[in-house]
Amino acid sequence: EQQPVQTETWKARSLEELIRILHRIFAEDKVSVEEVQELMESYESNPEEWLQYAKFDQYRYTRNLVDNGNGKFNLMILCWGEGHGSSIHDHTDSHCFMKILQGNLKETLFEWPEKKGNGEMTKKSERVLRENRCAYINDSIGLHRVENISHTEPAVSLHLYSPPFDSCNTFDQRTGHKHKVKMTFYSQFGERTVCVSMRQHPP
Amino acid sequence: LPAGLSQWFPALEVLDVSGTGLAELGAELLALPRLHTLLAKNNRLGGPGSLPKGLGQAPLGRSLRVLNLSGNRFAEVPPALLGLRGLQSLSLGGNRLHGIPPDIQELRSLEFLYLGGNFITSIPPELANLPSLSYLVLCDNKIQSIPPQLAQLHSLRSLSLHNNLLTYLPREILNLVHLEELSLRGNPLVVRFVRDLTYNPPSLQELAGRTVKTRNVPYAPSDLPENLVRYLSLASNCPNPKCGGVYFDSCVRQIKFVDFCGKYRLPLMHYLCSPECSSPCSSASQSSTSQSESDSEDEASVAARRMQKVLLG
Repeated sequence: EQQPVQTETWKARSLEELIRILHRIFAEDKVSVEEVQELMESYESNPEEWLQYAKFDQYRYTRNLVDNGNGKFNLMILCWGEGHGSSIHDHTDSHCFMKILQGNLKETLFEWPEKKGNGEMTKKSERVLRENRCAYINDSIGLHRVENISHTEPAVSLHLYSPPFDSCNTFDQRTGHKHKVKMTFYSQFGERTVCVSMRQHPP
Repeated sequence: LPAGLSQWFPALEVLDVSGTGLAELGAELLALPRLHTLLAKNNRLGGPGSLPKGLGQAPLGRSLRVLNLSGNRFAEVPPALLGLRGLQSLSLGGNRLHGIPPDIQELRSLEFLYLGGNFITSIPPELANLPSLSYLVLCDNKIQSIPPQLAQLHSLRSLSLHNNLLTYLPREILNLVHLEELSLRGNPLVVRFVRDLTYNPPSLQELAGRTVKTRNVPYAPSDLPENLVRYLSLASNCPNPKCGGVYFDSCVRQIKFVDFCGKYRLPLMHYLCSPECSSPCSSASQSSTSQSESDSEDEASVAARRMQKVLLG
């Protein structure tokens, strides 16, 4: 396959290198969405490099902080057991990159509900993201639900959010009503975060 | 599997034969006394003889804690595994199950039961007799209703019901005090207030039974034929606390909103002894039609607030 002439094409050969390059990119004033998406996709998932962050919970998916990007971004690993899924949520005016490290995740896009919305939310599209693919979303694109629809395989994904945020809105698909929730980490830098209220968990 | 398995590896604790195309797990497994985890997903298991006979009585039957048979071809829960009294985790996700046998209650130690991605149409009330069940996955099936007895699963922390054919839930679901996760998306849940009064007037037997129960008419097993003694023991209490009545077979089915502060509306099924009774589970935004509704609102609103937290995360 012919490589087109480009100004800058990153290739992350390891998770450590990916994080290093991300720090460099986000140190600049302007960051290109395409550049970050290509970089994330270029990293070929190697479980040995991220297994320490991949802590699963029996009951629901988990968010495990990997790097806090000097305050410019949050990089985290999400672990989805069989059948685990998120609610429909927004991204609090931030950029969201989601790369599949293992298994598959189904992403369903929704339109923002009408202000006085009282009907079923409108599905825009859905797709299944395969291993190593990287998806991107922000609030102007819409809302989404992410699910591991497999009944036999767990899934692991790598997420980058910039700027970092710790709360968002979840939406009821049948009515469009929204509800603000605080987001918490199941583990940080490979260490299980204890003393977190189970009631306040992410969407 | 090789016949000498238990002789070569007598200390084996974890065996993963997933994705190997196996059509049966044979007797060579039975003599593994330390095996606690058996993973056999994505194989060709499902026909008769997929699991070895005498599984419950063998050393393996006492040691096994985790069994994963997801992604196979089981059309029914294999009876051989119902003897696994020590089993804590069972997955039969992504098979071809059309139902759940009542004898599932034999798995006394079960904490984790994954049955997502099958063709299950109904849930036997016996499922509620699993005292340690904390995680129950029934998503991606064809389930039309949930038996109210499921509310007896006091240890239940997570219940996955998404992508089924549910139009309502039994109001008893509010009694699951430890429930932290409940997924309901992809069900044709009734959104608008529906009053569906289908009332068959009670039979003479029913009326007599109600009188015996509500007037506390004393009786001993020697006073009545055995079938009537059993009948009297099946009386259900009318949820209207002001009524204090009981019913047997004749009841009014009402689908009522439980309005969780206007954010999330769950249709809950109420069973009432007559159309005049109303359930204590009334919505705060609906106008109360009787004093009884507001009197018992405290208990109902505590349960409703708890469920609200579960649903809204």
